[in-house]
Amino acid sequence: MEFNSGFTLVRQLLALLAILIGTSFSILGVLGFLRMPDVYTRLHATGKVGVFGVVLLTIAAVNLTLIGFGKGLILIVILLFTGPVISHAVSSAAYRIGIPMQGVLRDDIAQHEAEEA
Amino acid sequence: METFLTNVLQIALAIHILLLMVCVWRVWRGENVIDRLIAADLAVTLSVAVLVLVALLRNSSLYLDVALALALLGFVSTLALARYIVDQSIF
Repeated sequence: MEFNSGFTLVRQLLALLAILIGTSFSILGVLGFLRMPDVYTRLHATGKVGVFGVVLLTIAAVNLTLIGFGKGLILIVILLFTGPVISHAVSSAAYRIGIPMQGVLRDDIAQHEAEEA
Repeated sequence: METFLTNVLQIALAIHILLLMVCVWRVWRGENVIDRLIAADLAVTLSVAVLVLVALLRNSSLYLDVALALALLGFVSTLALARYIVDQSIF
């Protein structure tokens, strides 16, 4: 493996830090996905993998090798925009087909529908 | 420093492939349909991470193109599946 010339030690250390933090966020996201009790709380855990893990790895890739700066930027923007949309669509689908919540304290949608009816 | 960085990158790649295998097992043995859908979406996200790490290791920006296309396709397919599960039709 050969890096491009013109990088400094600071840039390498920054990329190393980004890789370590991104990998630990991926591990924590998958652990939360396995251990959480409920579909909705699992969605909370898996959102972190897309937003923090892959974005930090892309920052490391752009910072370390200077390949594809624009492509990395477009990838970060796509990940940051599509993550909340996917979480909202999946949790809305889960509520509408009636998957129960664990330990629910209040349910605003059911209350609103009871008031409407 | 460079060999140390290469070793760290290889370990991160191995960890991400292990997490990807866990997600594929979860698609196979999920609790309900939404759980399997979340696992499939997480597998796509981890595949994007694996492609970014391969782009770093091979020092080629071609893999970033593949990661970009995979992120967009995963977004559209997860959205279409979530709508199909509720309404039994995409549009």
